[in-house]
Amino acid sequence: MSTQASSALTDSVVRELSSRLDEPDWLLETRLEALEALDDLPFPDVIQTPGRRWTNLEALDFEALVDPLAQGEAKERDVPDGVSVLSWPEALADHEDLVRDHFGTIIDPLENRLVALSTALFSTGTVIHVPADVDAEAVTVRTTMDGRSLFNYTLVVTDESSSVTILERQASEGDLGGHRYYSGLVELVAGENASVQYGALQDLDEDTYNYTLKRARADTYATANWIEGNLGSRLTKTSVGTELVGDGSETKIIGAFFGRDDQHFDLDSRVWHEGEHTTADLVTRGVIDDRARSVYEGTQVVGRDAWGTSSYQRENTLMLSEEAEADASPKLIINNHDTEASHSASVGQIDREDLLYLMTRGIGERAAKNMLVEGFFVPVLDEIAVEEFREDLREGISTRLHSRR
Amino acid sequence: MSSQDHLKDADTEARFDFKQEQRAAFQSEKGLTEETIRVISADKDEPEWMLQRRLRALQHFQRMPMPTDWPGQPDLSEVDVNEIIPYIRPDIDVRGGVDSWEDLPDDIKDTFDKLGIPEAEKNALSGVGAQYESEIVYQNMKKQWEDKGVIFMDMDRAVREHPDIVEEYFMTKCVPPSDNKFAALHGAIWSGGSFVYIPEDTVVEMPMQAYFRMNSEGMGQFEHTLIIAEPNSEVHYIEGCSAPKYSHFNLHSGCVEVFVKEGAHVQYSTVQNWSRNTYNLNTKRAIAEKNATMEWVSGSMGSKATMLYPATILKGRGATDTHITIAFAGKGQNIDTGAKVYHNAPNTKSTIESKSISKDGGRTNYRGLVHISDGATNAKTSVECDALMFDNESTSDTMPYMEIEESQVDVAHEATVGRIGDEDIFYLQSRGLSEDEAKQLIVAGFIEPITEELPIEYAVELNRLIELEMEGSLG
Repeated sequence: MSTQASSALTDSVVRELSSRLDEPDWLLETRLEALEALDDLPFPDVIQTPGRRWTNLEALDFEALVDPLAQGEAKERDVPDGVSVLSWPEALADHEDLVRDHFGTIIDPLENRLVALSTALFSTGTVIHVPADVDAEAVTVRTTMDGRSLFNYTLVVTDESSSVTILERQASEGDLGGHRYYSGLVELVAGENASVQYGALQDLDEDTYNYTLKRARADTYATANWIEGNLGSRLTKTSVGTELVGDGSETKIIGAFFGRDDQHFDLDSRVWHEGEHTTADLVTRGVIDDRARSVYEGTQVVGRDAWGTSSYQRENTLMLSEEAEADASPKLIINNHDTEASHSASVGQIDREDLLYLMTRGIGERAAKNMLVEGFFVPVLDEIAVEEFREDLREGISTRLHSRR
Repeated sequence: MSSQDHLKDADTEARFDFKQEQRAAFQSEKGLTEETIRVISADKDEPEWMLQRRLRALQHFQRMPMPTDWPGQPDLSEVDVNEIIPYIRPDIDVRGGVDSWEDLPDDIKDTFDKLGIPEAEKNALSGVGAQYESEIVYQNMKKQWEDKGVIFMDMDRAVREHPDIVEEYFMTKCVPPSDNKFAALHGAIWSGGSFVYIPEDTVVEMPMQAYFRMNSEGMGQFEHTLIIAEPNSEVHYIEGCSAPKYSHFNLHSGCVEVFVKEGAHVQYSTVQNWSRNTYNLNTKRAIAEKNATMEWVSGSMGSKATMLYPATILKGRGATDTHITIAFAGKGQNIDTGAKVYHNAPNTKSTIESKSISKDGGRTNYRGLVHISDGATNAKTSVECDALMFDNESTSDTMPYMEIEESQVDVAHEATVGRIGDEDIFYLQSRGLSEDEAKQLIVAGFIEPITEELPIEYAVELNRLIELEMEGSLG
């Protein structure tokens, strides 16, 4: 790490960030511990095979991109009735107990170096609380970063038998020249019998390095679903996971990505089956074009006491260019035999017969290819509950297809 | 079928677990030093270049760290190379193996009789090599193959009699000692094994077999197998392994190198039944040239811990690889096995089929890598892994890795894990089978893709081994 960057990361910087959000002492302490631990923590795990490292995080000087006190963003929040959607100062003023009970309980602030960096330096974010029995309309949060770096922290707490759909979008604005860094953490608490769908559409500019970690814990009969759309960024390292702790809990992790130019996506879906009779369905589809590279890892872990588990995973990558590269590693770790688990992964290109068929129907090659790629994403798009979000993702894909050289 | 009856009736466990008194013509000191290696090399009367290769491998071994950070890998902390006896030359008069079982000392002959090797030789094999401790003690091949120029001899003898071939191929272009820690160890203290050379256009119709037996406590076996199949030749090589169980650990770290030349076809089958105190850490690799076919068939039943990933490098256009593996982990076993395939040329094809069974706290892991290099257009690969689990003390992991640098490819991977279906058991019970019989039948069906690839004798053996594993644990 460059010494210059480290000198920007000091106790007083963290104290300043904390006081801007009017934080209680316990949160400041958590940040300071994270800062202190930074140098001793490893980078997030990346896959390594003989002679090959799938994503090289160490080569990136993340901390050099960080200007902690000059984080800039614009935030828009649509808040339906019955739900609290709050900034950090608001949440800490009105719901400190709620925040204190849940902050850092799902994602350990010291889990890895980039999580600790994010915890120490977050300057913004959203706290969402859905009280018991509330059946809320969609919450939308738009984050547009306009500074060199941004650390965003989201905490979602849904009480018993509530339901909500949350849509989060990240984009960047302004041309600052050089690289930028976005980091986002999301902790999601799905209470007993609650139902949550959390969608994120990442469309940062292609100079931005992106690290995100999203994790849910699902109580008895709860459903925690994730939708992950990754279009933007120069390099993305992201991990989305659900701990199925309660009996009968469920999760779906649905992912879509489209990489072009020299974008690098390292995407990771995880599920931990811990309760009995839990169900998981992991589905990711992605396209890579130009010299883009995708890395996909999907891990299904079934615990010793996870009787009656059902766990499924599918991943498909479509390669549109000769220069693109796709790596995939779906993993099963099964410790209870009362399990029905499967995974599959495929890598290929547009089916020639399908293409030929469309062309015989009078459709030009280019248009036919675009149709087939759009069709490839349909199983993923169909999972998205909110139309606005589905259309945004579809449009993002379509824009990329039509701007192909 | 009557000729196989002896296999069905035999008490398989007793057949593998008996011990003979430990006696040797020469035994090295425990541990691994330059001095030990010079002593082994001198005892074998090796040429200087082989000694130099051993010493270079030793340097690699000393430099390389133990593999410890693979997710879910077996615990190797007990494996202290300084605690093993790397070299035990059995007490026989003829170096390089006698060609009649009658010429062996009684205890060694008795060992292989109990293992059924002479019987199998008569019925189903073109040739047999049998290794006891560190050296081959029996080596024979039917005369018709010898007349065609086929070579099947003990590796130590090949170093002396075919130095040109061995010097070119031995741990040079296929598995260099720098490949991994245990390949380096092997390169330093290898002993015994087989050298197989099949001339151009020669088809060896019946399989050849080598059988590796460790008898002594605390020893390491490091046999080296080198197979060269010249263009358009064909051979099926079978390797069997076993040892009696001791309280102290044994180490098996073999190395197999296969060269499959243009249009040739090699099948390499292994039925591994090492005792439950053996660490089985092998490196097996094949290089397949244009239109060549390499088939790996592996059954891993024994050992305390196995780490084995037979690899094929599809180097020539149109080369094909097939992997069929089955792993069975019972109490205290960690069988970490899989396959590696590198597609380095266009129109190459690989098919990997893996089956695993875990029970009584055993752990199986499929760990596999398929790499498709840029330019390997129209490469096709399909990987299928299925795992059966018997209880919630056991663990079944599946960890495939796919690296695709080429766009014109067809890559598919599928895996399933589950328990034996209650409905299947219920159905068989309704047809009059007991629950145990039903489970055994289902397991036999589960592993059938493997058994049908083996000569009937081995298929019977494999089924019998699995029945044995299942006994007493069901119900």
